[in-house]
Amino acid sequence: MKEQWRLLQTDFNTAFTNMAIDRAVLVANSKGKISPTVRFYSWKPPAISIGYFQSLNEEVDLDACKKLGVDCVRRITGGGAVFHDKELTYSIVIPESHPQIPKNILESYRRICGAVIRGLQQLWIESKYVPINDIVVNGKKISGNAQTRKSKTVLQHGTVLMDVDVDKMFSLLKVPDEKIKDKLIADVKQRVTSIKHISGNDVSFENVAEAMKIGFEEEFGIELVKGTLTKKEIELTEMFERECFSTNEWNYRR
Amino acid sequence: MQSKSIYKVPNGKILKIFLEYDEKCNLINEIKITGDFFVYPEEAIELMENKLKNMLLEREHLLKKIRSIIKERDIQFIGLDAEGLTEGILMCKT
Repeated sequence: MKEQWRLLQTDFNTAFTNMAIDRAVLVANSKGKISPTVRFYSWKPPAISIGYFQSLNEEVDLDACKKLGVDCVRRITGGGAVFHDKELTYSIVIPESHPQIPKNILESYRRICGAVIRGLQQLWIESKYVPINDIVVNGKKISGNAQTRKSKTVLQHGTVLMDVDVDKMFSLLKVPDEKIKDKLIADVKQRVTSIKHISGNDVSFENVAEAMKIGFEEEFGIELVKGTLTKKEIELTEMFERECFSTNEWNYRR
Repeated sequence: MQSKSIYKVPNGKILKIFLEYDEKCNLINEIKITGDFFVYPEEAIELMENKLKNMLLEREHLLKKIRSIIKERDIQFIGLDAEGLTEGILMCKT
């Protein structure tokens, strides 16, 4: 019989709730209380997440975000600033000691990205992993990924772009040199793609989630069983949202 | 004196350093190491910032110190390395 992992489909939440759920599941798993968990989710309102080591003021045009109703949150994972709009976001939480997870960090990025690549295959999209943390289609990025390891437990989350609006993205993010902003936008348009751009039509969140479910099941040889957050995880989520992700102290700490 | 640098680490990520230093003595007062790299464990970056306070702004000194902190604390950088971090810090001094 195949190993069963938990599947959470929490759909749309705020940035603060989303980051709190990922951390709550990470903490609960590290205490050995729950099975490996895969979650598919999205963001409402649209939001920018920044990497743990980034400076919010440095990366994000906060006035523009306010005007457009875009939330901002610091992740517990490293990596870059991401504008989360029309996308599916996945997260996986699994013990470091699990035989499916390579000890080497870059190898484990590759392995988990393998699940996303198989998921994209379900949508007739051929993609590949490009170190450190990207998945690309014909050289254009369709997915960015970030991983942390805490208390011997791995959390990796990442995006799968369903559609992308590079102009809007750049109206929210700061660029190092305003003089070359137009060129930068043109460059990024050449280097980013989405499911919609490739397949030529809109694919629903549910369809992408179903494809990704199969991708994770195939990559890891497991069965994903729909589940819900435990009572403890809900408590932890509320606590992390209130005391961490929605606070200025956390979001402006660097 | 306050200064800032942006440095693309070769084969790595973008490093942005905010530095406050004493020009006369060539010493670091405060340093903030930011960017889109990865550090395992993440908290090690704050430890690194604390340990670099009062360090002499000189390549060999910095490199040696950064390498020793990485080794001592078993820190893993991805998209960043000791040489890149040293370079980013020294670029603040112009």
